[in-house]
Amino acid sequence: MGRGLPAVDDVTDPVASTGGSTSGVGESFLSLEGVSRIYGEEVQVRALDDVSMEIRAGEFLSIVGPSGSGKSTMLGLLGVLDLPTHGVIRVRGVDVSRLSDAERSRLRGEAIGFVFQQFHLIPHLTALGNVETALLYRGLSSKRRRGRALEALEQVDLGDRHDHRPVQLSGGEQQRVAIARAIATEPDVVLADEPTGALDSKNAENVLQIFDDLQTPERSICIVTHDLHIAHFAHRKISMLDGRIVSDASLERS
Amino acid sequence: MRRLREVIGVAVAGLTARKVRTLLIMLGPVLGVAAIVSAIGINESSKGHLKAKLQELGTDLIVVNASSGLGFGQDPVIEAAAVGRVKRLPDVVAVTGTRQMSDIVTVPFAGAEDYYRAFPVPVIASGLDLPATLEVPLVSGRFLNDFDESSGARVAVIGRDLADEYGYMRGEPRTILLNGLEYGVIGVLDYVLLEPSMDSAVFLTFTSAVDDWGLVDPDPSRLYVRAPVNTRLVAEEIPTVVSLGGPDGANSSVPTDLLDAQSQVDESLNNLTKMMGGLALIVGGVGIANVMSISVIQRSSEIGIRRALGHSRGTIAIQFLFEALVVGVLGGIVGAGVGAGVVWGVAEQRGYTMVLSMVGLVGWALVSVGVAVVAGLYPSTKAARLEPLETLRLG
Repeated sequence: MGRGLPAVDDVTDPVASTGGSTSGVGESFLSLEGVSRIYGEEVQVRALDDVSMEIRAGEFLSIVGPSGSGKSTMLGLLGVLDLPTHGVIRVRGVDVSRLSDAERSRLRGEAIGFVFQQFHLIPHLTALGNVETALLYRGLSSKRRRGRALEALEQVDLGDRHDHRPVQLSGGEQQRVAIARAIATEPDVVLADEPTGALDSKNAENVLQIFDDLQTPERSICIVTHDLHIAHFAHRKISMLDGRIVSDASLERS
Repeated sequence: MRRLREVIGVAVAGLTARKVRTLLIMLGPVLGVAAIVSAIGINESSKGHLKAKLQELGTDLIVVNASSGLGFGQDPVIEAAAVGRVKRLPDVVAVTGTRQMSDIVTVPFAGAEDYYRAFPVPVIASGLDLPATLEVPLVSGRFLNDFDESSGARVAVIGRDLADEYGYMRGEPRTILLNGLEYGVIGVLDYVLLEPSMDSAVFLTFTSAVDDWGLVDPDPSRLYVRAPVNTRLVAEEIPTVVSLGGPDGANSSVPTDLLDAQSQVDESLNNLTKMMGGLALIVGGVGIANVMSISVIQRSSEIGIRRALGHSRGTIAIQFLFEALVVGVLGGIVGAGVGAGVVWGVAEQRGYTMVLSMVGLVGWALVSVGVAVVAGLYPSTKAARLEPLETLRLG
């Protein structure tokens, strides 16, 4: 899969990956180095405290922790939706703090896909329109954009429902549309925030299976959850507590 | 270009998804532009109508009214000799005197007295050159002539409306009754635009007025003077020529000046309507800013997901600005259309020739676009500043 990001590479110094690869996974492309995130000025809340980690190509990892442990803050930072108060975040070796909003947005759009608990589909657009939204402003012709969006919908078995609006789809189907939207841009990593939180067990199982199928040597999957069963679906589990990583372990598939 | 098309597509999709809201925010620009375009259009059409009317009437007719001199207790008149003096003034080509008679009940046939006593028909003693001076033709028969004057024949000319009212057919030998005296109708005068009251009047010779109706002297109370050159100068000279320092006074006016003044009044009204239209546009702009600001809050999740999908703050701002722009463009076009429709309707109803400036139409539509874009600046900036993390409410 093509992963080129020439425009961003032009403005920053690519930095070497932060570590060697383990069996079955590639080089690090996303890393947090001594990252802290503090909210508030007078009353300060340290949501993330001196965290370092990396995500390598082809990994399937989960970030677990109780409510308030800092996992959502971490997801926001990993997804370049937020910037750290201290520390460095690198995506494809690029320090994201040094990028402008437009450059960060472009990097986010090309390298990272998101799946949310509440799906966050745009209600007035069809399934196809929602997936196409991820492919806007990339210089693609409308025909090519539509083709890639359809392809992504077919990957989640919703090719025949492309003209349905979110309200006409079940919760499980809506989440599959959201997954199609996340993978349509062929990102390096898909960040999923409690992706099964709003689904029944059968649909949850289906969604997890789709994530498993989507993992490739080039594409990583990172699921943030408080559900240990889902966490054990991954190959690597990072546990968080009070804004810190308390364990980072490889797992045998449960 | 492709990016521009995509932004427009997203903006249009955002607007069509909420049609009622879009229509409501479009109302402001529509009403504002429609008010301004129709105000200007109606005024221009009315002015065009007045200009055509002025052209038709000619701007060289002077009306001279006798004013109270020293003859207290009597209706003011202009002595017959003064008519000759006015006629001899340089640049004067025609003069006719008239005098409205009173206490004469005119009826088309016996038995209609009660009605015509309640709604009397004006009876005017007139000089013989009235059609030539007013430049109004006869639609039937002839006007009063020297023979009628010298013989004191009981003949009358009637106005066109009166002819219609009496059911007078062209060339029909017909008599009418003036306080019971029979007068033969010898002609029908066409419409007199400057003196619409003449359209339902009866015209007699001054001889008849003296012989039958007790007029002491054949003195007119009003003169119509045609002076194609130096009209206003002649109008200024006439009062002096009439009075010659004597007790009789007169004042003169050029009626078409009144029409000019009328168009000036219309201009003031026009400016007022323009101001109200401008106010409607501003209120419309405030409406756009208000509704779009609420819409930004309602669509915060959409904005958040777009940001997560890689749309920059700038792109989000432009998307919302384009929504405002589309509202302004459509509002401007619809408003201009509605305004033009109103102008057409009024012009049709009042018999004007529709005058509408394309430059004005496009110009006011552009003003609407400007107002909408300025109004859209605040909500679009607000949308761009939303933090995606806050709007997405991660679990």
